Amino acid sequence: MSLRVSVSPWPVEVTAWTFTNIFNASNVLSMNTGDWLKGALIASAGAAVVAALWWGAASTAGQAPAFKAPRTADGKPDLNGVWQAVNTANYDIQAHPARPALAIRPAPARSGAPGLGRATPADLPAVPVIALGAAGGVPAGHGVVEGDEIPYQPWAAARKKENVDNWLTRDPEITCHMPGVPRATYMPYPFQVLQGTDKILIAYEFAGATRTIHMDAAGSSPSDTWMGWSRGRWEDDTLVVDVTNFNDQTWFDRAGNFHSEALHVVERYTPASPYHLMYEVTIEDPKVFTRPWKMSMPLYRRFETDAQVLEYKCVEFVEELMYGHLGIRDPGTGQLNK
Amino acid sequence: MNRRYVVSLGVLATAIVILALALAPGAAQAPTAAKTAAPTAWTPSRTPWGDPDLQGVYRYEAAIPLERPANLADTPFLTDEEVARRDQAEQEQEAKRLAGGEGVDVGRQPLSESPIRGNEYNSFWQDHGRPRQIHNRTSLIVDPPDGKLPYTPDARKAEARSAARYGIGPYESFLDPDTGERCLTDGVTALMWQGPNGGHNRIMQSPGYVTILHEEYRDRRIIPVDGRAHGSIRQWFGDAVGRWEGSTLVVDTVNFLDKTHYEWANVWTRPSETLHLVERFTRVDADTIEYEITIEDPTTFARPWKAAIPITRLPDGTQIYEYACHEGNYAMPNLLSGARAQAQAGEEGR
Repeated sequence: MSLRVSVSPWPVEVTAWTFTNIFNASNVLSMNTGDWLKGALIASAGAAVVAALWWGAASTAGQAPAFKAPRTADGKPDLNGVWQAVNTANYDIQAHPARPALAIRPAPARSGAPGLGRATPADLPAVPVIALGAAGGVPAGHGVVEGDEIPYQPWAAARKKENVDNWLTRDPEITCHMPGVPRATYMPYPFQVLQGTDKILIAYEFAGATRTIHMDAAGSSPSDTWMGWSRGRWEDDTLVVDVTNFNDQTWFDRAGNFHSEALHVVERYTPASPYHLMYEVTIEDPKVFTRPWKMSMPLYRRFETDAQVLEYKCVEFVEELMYGHLGIRDPGTGQLNK
Repeated sequence: MNRRYVVSLGVLATAIVILALALAPGAAQAPTAAKTAAPTAWTPSRTPWGDPDLQGVYRYEAAIPLERPANLADTPFLTDEEVARRDQAEQEQEAKRLAGGEGVDVGRQPLSESPIRGNEYNSFWQDHGRPRQIHNRTSLIVDPPDGKLPYTPDARKAEARSAARYGIGPYESFLDPDTGERCLTDGVTALMWQGPNGGHNRIMQSPGYVTILHEEYRDRRIIPVDGRAHGSIRQWFGDAVGRWEGSTLVVDTVNFLDKTHYEWANVWTRPSETLHLVERFTRVDADTIEYEITIEDPTTFARPWKAAIPITRLPDGTQIYEYACHEGNYAMPNLLSGARAQAQAGEEGR
C-alpha cells in the first residue's frame, strides 16, 4: 500500500477559503504572533495574486489569466466547489438577438389598415407559449462559439433549422432527458465538482445527472450514453476531460444545435481565480460537422455559504406533458379522457 | 491556513500509524467475514485529507430479508446446518433460474415467507453475477427483537392497500404506478440494500463530502461532513448532514418529502415528512461496511426501529454505469394505453 501525504509549503495553501479569511479581522486577531506573521505573508501574497489577476484580465482579454490554483491534499489543482455558467448559451450557443419566445410562429401576412402592418412584430410566440409573456422571452447574447460559426455539413444545417421550427417537440430539455456534454455545463443550474483521488464526480442539478471522470483511465463504456464516458488528466493546472461514447439524442442548446453518436468532446477546466474557472470545449463529429470547433466561457464559483446542488427531479414535472393524454383519467381535473 | 496545516500534520501522523500497522506481521490479513452484526475494530486507511476511507463500489449481497419470515418468528439466528440448507436451496434455485425457470418453478415464495431476499420477484431482473453471501441472521431488522416493522395500525392498512394494488392497478394515470416505474427513485432508504438489481453504490469522498452514487435511477446523495447544520428545504432524499465518530460515518437526515412510493415486491421504502433517518457506516473489514439504520417516523411507525445491513465491497475496477430510465420509459405509455384500451373494451362489452 502506498500512501501519498503532502505537507505543502504554505504558499500553495492560498485557497478561496484563505482569500475570504485573510480579510476577516476577527480571524486575524485570534491568531498568535507566528500565525499572524504567516497570515500577513499570505495576505500580501494573496494581494499580489489578486493584483496580477486584475492586470492579467485587463491585458489579455478573453484568455485565462495566469493563476496558480490551490492544491488538494494530494497535490492536485483543487477544483472542488459549486460552479455555474452565467450566460445565454443554453438559449443559443451562437450570437442571437432578443426574441419573444423560443417557439415562434410565422408573422401574419401584412394586410389590413395602413399602419397596422408596420406595428406588427416580425415574430410572434407560438400559441402554446403565448401565456408566458415576457417570462418566456429569449435574452440576447454574444454567443460562446469561437468565430461564431458552427461548421455544419449541408444536410446537418438543414436539420438544425428544422429543429428550430420544431423546438417544442424535439428539445430533450423539455422532456427532462439527461442534457449531455457540454450542454450540462452551461444550463442555468449549478453543478458541483467533487474531487476525489482517482475519480472526479460532476454532479449536475438538472435531471440529477452525474458524470464520473476517471482519472485512473479505468474501464470503458459498454454502450452509448447520454452523458458520455469521461477520462480525465491534468495538464499543469488544467483538468482535461476526453468524452466519448455518446448517443445522438442530446442537443447543445435550445436552438436546435445537435450532433451524432460520433461526437467526441474535449473539455478543459482551468482555474483562473479563486472564484472562476475558464471552460473551453472542442467539439468533433465527422458525421455532422466539416471540422472541429470550439466554445469557451468562464464558470463562476457559487460561494454563498449555503451554495448547494439541490434536487431537480424533473421527471415528475413532465409526466403530464408526456403521458397525460394516455391515461384513463386526467389527474388534474379528474375527468375521463376520451 | 492554520487549521489546514494542523490537519496536514494530523494526516502525516495517521499515515505513520497506518504504515506501522501495515508493516506489523499478520496485520494485512482481513478478519474473516463477520457472521454477527457487531462492528469490530478495524482501522480503515485515510484519505489524503485525513478522513476514514470508505470508498469503493458496494452492493448488498447477503440474502437476509429485511423482516423476519413468519416461519422463523422465534429464530433470530440460524444454526450452521440451517445456513447450509438455505445455501443449498439458494443454489438449487439459482440452477433452476439458469435453466430458464421463473416464479414458483424456482421456488419463489411470497415476501412474508421467503427466507432469501431476492427470490420473491421475476428472476430475470436479478443479476446473479456473484454468489450471494449466506448469513446466519434471519432478518436485517435487529430492533424490535421480533424482526418486524413496527407499523402503526393505520400505516399497516395503507401498506396492505398499496401492496394489493401493485401490478394490478387500476392504472388511471401516470400517478398510479410506483415511483420506480415512473423512473423517479426507489427511495433513499433502499439504496444500500437494494440487492442484486442495479444495486451498485459508489461511495466517493472529497474534502468535506461523502457522495453516494446509486446506479439504479442514478440516485445521488451529496452528504456534507463539514459540520454544517440541516437546511430547511424538503427534498425527496431529505436534507443529509454527516459527521465522523471515530472511523464511523454517521449521517443524519430530515426534511423528506412524502412522495416516494416504491412497491416493487419490496419492503418499506416510503419516507413521510416526519421521518428522521440516522445511518451509520462502519468499515468492519477490507470488503465490508456494516450499515446500520435507525428509523423514527411517528406517522408510520409505533416506535423507532433499527436494521443492520452488511454491504459488500466489489472488486476494484467495478463501475457504476449510466442508468437512463426515464429516457427509455416505454413501459409507462404502454401501461397507460393498455389500461385505456382495457377500459374502452370494457365499456363496449357492456
